[in-house]
Order: sequence, then C-alpha cells, then structure tokens
Amino acid sequence: MDFQNRNNTANKFVCPSDRQLALRAKLRAGWSSSKTSEPLRPEEQEAIISVIRRNEEIEIAERQRVGRLVERVEKIKQHAVERGPNCCRLCGDTFGLLRPHRIICEDCRQSVCTKCSVDINIRYHTSERTREIWLCRICSETREMWKKSGAWFFKGLPRYDTPRSASANATPAPTPTPGGMASMAGDTRSEHSCHGTPTRTARVKKLTIRVNDSSSSSGPSEPEDEVDGGGGSGRVGGAKGSAVGRLQREDSFRLRAYGSIRSFIDGGERKLSNSFFFGRQQSHRLSECTDYDSVSLSNGSAVAQIRRESSSLRRGSVSSSWSISESSGSGNSGTHSQSQSQVQSQSQSQYAQSQQQHCRDPLLGWLEIAISYRESFHSLDCTMVRARDLPAMDASGLTDPYCKLNIITPEALTKYTRWQRTRTVHKTRNPEFNETLQFVGVEPEELGNSLLYVALFDDDKYGHDFLGAAKVCLSTVHSTSQYRISVPLGVEDQYSNAAEIAQEWPNGKILISLCYNTKRRALVVNVKQCINLMAMDNNGSSDPFVKLQLKPDAHKNKKHKTSVKWRTLNPIYNEEFYFEASPHDLNKEMLIVTVWDKDLGKSNDFLGSVQLGAQSKGERLQQWHDCIRLPDHFHEKWHCLAPDNPAH
Amino acid sequence: MAKTYDYLFKLLLIGDSGVGKTCILFRFSEDAFNTTFISTIGIDFKIRTIELDNKKIKLQIWDTAGQERFRTITTAYYRGAMGIMLVYDITQEKSFENIKNWIRNIEENASADVEKMLLGNKCELHDKRQVSKERGEQLAIEYGIKFMETSAKASINVEEAFLTLASDIKAKTEKRMEANNPPKGGHQLKTLDSRTKDSWLSRCSLL
Repeated sequence: MDFQNRNNTANKFVCPSDRQLALRAKLRAGWSSSKTSEPLRPEEQEAIISVIRRNEEIEIAERQRVGRLVERVEKIKQHAVERGPNCCRLCGDTFGLLRPHRIICEDCRQSVCTKCSVDINIRYHTSERTREIWLCRICSETREMWKKSGAWFFKGLPRYDTPRSASANATPAPTPTPGGMASMAGDTRSEHSCHGTPTRTARVKKLTIRVNDSSSSSGPSEPEDEVDGGGGSGRVGGAKGSAVGRLQREDSFRLRAYGSIRSFIDGGERKLSNSFFFGRQQSHRLSECTDYDSVSLSNGSAVAQIRRESSSLRRGSVSSSWSISESSGSGNSGTHSQSQSQVQSQSQSQYAQSQQQHCRDPLLGWLEIAISYRESFHSLDCTMVRARDLPAMDASGLTDPYCKLNIITPEALTKYTRWQRTRTVHKTRNPEFNETLQFVGVEPEELGNSLLYVALFDDDKYGHDFLGAAKVCLSTVHSTSQYRISVPLGVEDQYSNAAEIAQEWPNGKILISLCYNTKRRALVVNVKQCINLMAMDNNGSSDPFVKLQLKPDAHKNKKHKTSVKWRTLNPIYNEEFYFEASPHDLNKEMLIVTVWDKDLGKSNDFLGSVQLGAQSKGERLQQWHDCIRLPDHFHEKWHCLAPDNPAH
Repeated sequence: MAKTYDYLFKLLLIGDSGVGKTCILFRFSEDAFNTTFISTIGIDFKIRTIELDNKKIKLQIWDTAGQERFRTITTAYYRGAMGIMLVYDITQEKSFENIKNWIRNIEENASADVEKMLLGNKCELHDKRQVSKERGEQLAIEYGIKFMETSAKASINVEEAFLTLASDIKAKTEKRMEANNPPKGGHQLKTLDSRTKDSWLSRCSLL
C-alpha cells in the first residue's frame, strides 16, 4: 500500500495516504501545503473571486435576515419591564390565585404569566413529556433566534446587520483577495458580538444613557430623611438630579424621535405603550417628582416652602430655560398629589422603584399656556398657545392634536360637566393653537386651590387617542396680569379618562382581536362583540352583522362576514376569520370593519365602521403593529365605530 | 425583498477528483446532467430552497475541487459547513479508500458538530463496479454516518441524500435548542438580563 502510494504521489488528483499525512503532520504544515503547488492562473483567480462575490451577496442577505431576527427579540425585550415579583415580566398582569397563573421561565428564572410563555414540549413536539418546561416569550424567541440564525452551530450569533443599518451596508464588500478568503468562508463565529455597525454602537450608547438616568433619578429618592430634617441642600440636589436625568432622557428621546419612519415607530410605540401599560406611566410620572412627593407628604411646612419656591421660579422663568420650567411643572404635580391618598403614593413609590431600572423616555411634549382672570366677570381665560414635541400617532410621524380643558376643584372633581375643547390642528407634532377658551363662573376664592387641567388628544374619527396632560395650579393667577407658563405634558390619569368618556360615541364600540398565525400564514380576525350600536329598526333594535375586508383586495376575495344577531344592540359574535397574507403584505394592508343592520326586503343599514392597518392611527395602529410584531398571540382591543362608511 | 426562508444550511461536497461532486450538485440544483468533464476551479456553490415540516430551508451547497492544488482554498470552507457529503466513485477503488483521509481532513478542519454523510456515486454503472454496496455501508457504520448509493446521471437518490442531510441538521438544531440547554456563549443581552435581576433582588431585600 505504501509502495503503491509512493508511486502515486505524482498524481495530484488523488488524496494522499495515511503515511503521507502522518509525515506532513510532523512538519506541522498540514495536508495541503507540502505540494509545491503552482500558483493559480489569472483566469482561475478570476473564477474563484467571482464565486466569492456571489457568496458575498448571499452573506449580506443572511446578515440582514439574522439582523431582523435579532431585532425581533430586541423589540420584545424592550417591552419587558420589571414591575415587581407579583407581576408578569412581559405583560404586567398581576398574578392572582385564579387566572394569570405564575410560571417560572426555565432559562431566565423570571416569573411570567401563561399568556406570555410557551411550553416547549408543545412547541417542539417532544415525544417524552416527562415534565412541563416553560419558557417566557423572550427566552423562547431567543432560542428560536439561535436556531434560525445558526448560532447554535457556531456557538454564537453570526455577524448581522440590523435593518436600520442595512441601507448603509448595501454597497458590496471590498474586493476579496485569496488571502482573505478564510475569514469570509466561515470564521463568522469569532466576530459575532462586536460587529461594529454604527447603529449597534448607537444603541449601546442609548443604553448607557438610560443607566445614568436611572441612577440619577434614584439618587434623590433615597435621602428622604435628610430632607425631612429641613436640609435645603438635599432638596436642591435632588431637584437638580432629576432635572439632569430629565435632560438626559430628553436627549435620548430626541435621538430616536427625529429620524426615519422606523425610529418614529419606536417613538410612537413608546407613547402608545404608555397608554397601554398604565401602571408604568404612573410610575414614570412618579419617578420624576418623587423628591417633591416624598417631601410634601412627610413635612407640611416644607410643602409651603416648595410651593413658594417653585412659584417664584416659575415667575422668573416663563419659558426661557427648560430645566427651570420643568421643575416648576413637577412642582405642580407634586402639590397636587399631596391631596391624593397615602395608599396610592405608596404603591406609586413601589412603581417608581421598579421604574428606576427600566427608565423610559417619559416626556410627552410641552404645552404653552397663557392664563388671565377677569375678576369683574368671574371668568378665567385660558389661551392654549402652542404645544411642542407631541408623540407621533400615525405612520408618517404626525399627530392631529386638540386640547380639552376643565377646572379641577379642591375635592378633586371636575368643575364643569362639559369639557371645553380647542379646534384640531392637523398633521403636526408642534401645533400652534392660539385659541382662548373661557371658563365663566370661577370665584376668586376658588382660584387658590383649583387646578386647570388640560388633556391633549389626537383627533381621529375612529377614537381619540390620548397624547398628554398637564395640570396648572391657579393659585398664582392674578387679575392684574396675564400669566404665561410652559408645562411638560404628563401621562394619563383619572381626569383624562373622564375627558375621553365625555366624548360621545353614538355609533357604539366593537371588540376585535387580531392574531397573525405563522403556521397558516394568515391573519386571524376574531370579531368578539359590539356594544351600544344604533337602533335602526322600528322595534328600537337592530339586527347587526359585521363585514370584514382586507384592502387592497384586487380579486374581491378577501372578504368575510359574521352571522346576523337578531334584535340586539349588543351582539356577541366570537367568530374567527382567516385572511391569508404574509407579514410583509400586512404592512401595506388595511382591515376595514363595517357593522350593518340586516334588513329583509330592503338594503341593509350602515351602523358604523373602523379601520385597522398601517395607515390607521393611535391604538388601532398599535394593535396592528403588535399583531405583526408578536405573531401567534391574540391582541384584543375595543374600538369606537365611526359613523361614515369607508366604501363611500 | 428576496424570498424569505427560515434556515440557511451550508453544505459541502468533498471527495476525490472526478467522483462526480459537481454532477451531483448539478442534478440536485438544476435537475440536469452533463457528460463532459470540467474540473471545478477551486470552489463553487449552488442554492436551492427546500421545505421540511413547513419550514423553508435554504441550502447553500459548496462544491469543492477534488484536486489537491486547490486544497488551501477548499479547506477554508470546511469551518462554515453544517453538513458535509463525502463522495466516492463506486467504479474507482482508490476514491473509496481515500474517504478515510477525507474524514480525517474534516476532523482537522471542520466544526465538531458537523453532520456527515457518505455517498457512493455512479451507481448506475453496474458492470464497472469496484466497490460493493456492503463495503460502503460498512465504512459508514464505522464512522457512524449515513450512507447512500447515488447516481447523478440516472438521478437516483440525489434528492433523497440532500433532504436526509438537511433534515438531520434540522433535527440536530431542534434537539440542541429544545432540551434543557439554554443558549449560552457570548450572549450579551442575556447577561444584562441576569444582572438586572440580581440588582432587583437586592433591592427587594433592602425593602
């Protein structure tokens, strides 16, 4: 055998023998290097380089695909907020004895609810079901990502381009040389973590900002006792800390807010999820003014001092410096929350604590108000001058804002049953309202302990979405001069809800649940129920049914309708419909839901409509995005029905 | 946007020169056959997307030159391969004997997790057969890998071979990720998570 092989060494086309290999191993040169191989001819080099170029294209596509997978997981992670041991890490549901059952994730050992977790025995169809293994959605998606990206094989994530940087990296890679081939071929695993795309680093930067932020806002809440003792320095330091934190936060907000549509979605999402995760917003506001709250609750005299201080600040500032007017703003909310019950503040401080880890950009914008009081008429003139940096509500990053105003009495009730509203300024995030609304019948004595409450909403025929709210203390308003103030907009509370309820929705509401089913590659629409529909028949009732259509619908086949529920204004359907579509297509499509009254013998009467899709706004847009981003989960929401028929 | 797929598997064909690697790949990707022998220059690859259990799998199959002079280039591609087809020619004893050298080559250069498969090509040439099917099977058992006799010319088992290899890789993926092995390694986000958890717990005890 050996002998034979020696004769054969001349044959380059045959693999060398064991003995040859052993000898070469001793030379530490490897199998291939011993041959005095002739260098590659130019045409051969060209052929190889063209193959490598082709491969490069595939690698780019693959990197983008992995980037999308990574981003998907990251998105889910962004939603996860630490809320406490008794809440689901993902959706924030509080665990109870009965329904949201607590589950400990196998990988990260955090508690989640059944809705936000997967039994991997089911998911991977394991045959031996010895015990249940549950994973939270973050971990199961991470595993899925490792599977799909090939990270399981390379023991680390391969190189990837996040979709945002994809356009920047679209140019083909530098011409490869034969020497560089090895790294192209497969050494992906060594570079997984530090692929230096610009967005990647930017994201890291953002993260660090947040960390700073949380530490700075945790600072002021701790030295509560010091402040209690009357130490003015502690308080000032605290206020400064929170202002700094706020500025940083604002920076990071700006970073994201002004960008492409993509970054808008981030921004929009943040705001939307604000109204979605109610608990977090509360917490958020609290972490801003914790220092004030804690002081005002613990020491009565200090309250007055702060109030005086903040009001003097306010008078001096008008709107020249943001940080100062911001502190006056939180001063307001601080004095207000003094009147709230202690129990609430306790739970809020708990929130605030959990908030410190995942501090989010809280700022919902600014509102500039001018207030004057005419004692002779007992009227309060409130001029909504302008608002700035409002959250975006539609896919183009714009909003249609309007204000609703009311006076809040010392008993924490709204003074007027009818909320005053400004007109809507369309398609802007920085509206100039310049509109004066007059409250008549405000006694001078009332001014001292009342608040002006302003809530901003996004105008949309399918339901008005909350943008932000501000409270202004009226104690500093004098009859002699106009009082101008710029206040930061805070989050939703009981008054803004009241303001929204005051809005009439004569066409009723519909409860719709959306889910994108990845197995069937279809959008599942579950029409659950409607309430308060209009009566169209003589008997004071209607015979409602719901029609669904996914548009654009070129072949007129993406249509479904529910059964007719006879003689009711609050029908319950619970009917599911499948629309085949890829997630990519969904980004361009619009689900049109119309409710009709079935009439025998004449044409059906129109009862109301709602549109869901990428072109819709606010909560409807959010539900649509949620459905695409988190497939295989149902996303349920109430929607107001609009009186106009989209078909006309 | 290009066609989406769920997995990308990189496969590699190796074996002596002239055993029919390129033909097998040509049969699998284009379902065609070419009798003229053109030696592969260095490396080449073809793409084909298949579907297994409702998952779209994109196969990037690297065809390597069997000639020794290209070995520096070809071995560079071993590392990235998730599956390797070892091909020999049943009408050439030598190519079969060399399989163990190729396996050694894999062990030196490829990932330990790589899925391997042995193919005896040109099985339509019964009268010129030098390596019996039993010997091929025996060798495969020895190395604990799967074995098939194929024919690129007569289109026997080519499709099956690739599908088997792909489904083996997919099964391995699932096994890896389903069992009690959370993804480990340089997973940056993961560690961040656990850190926040710790800090949260410590806060809790302070309260």
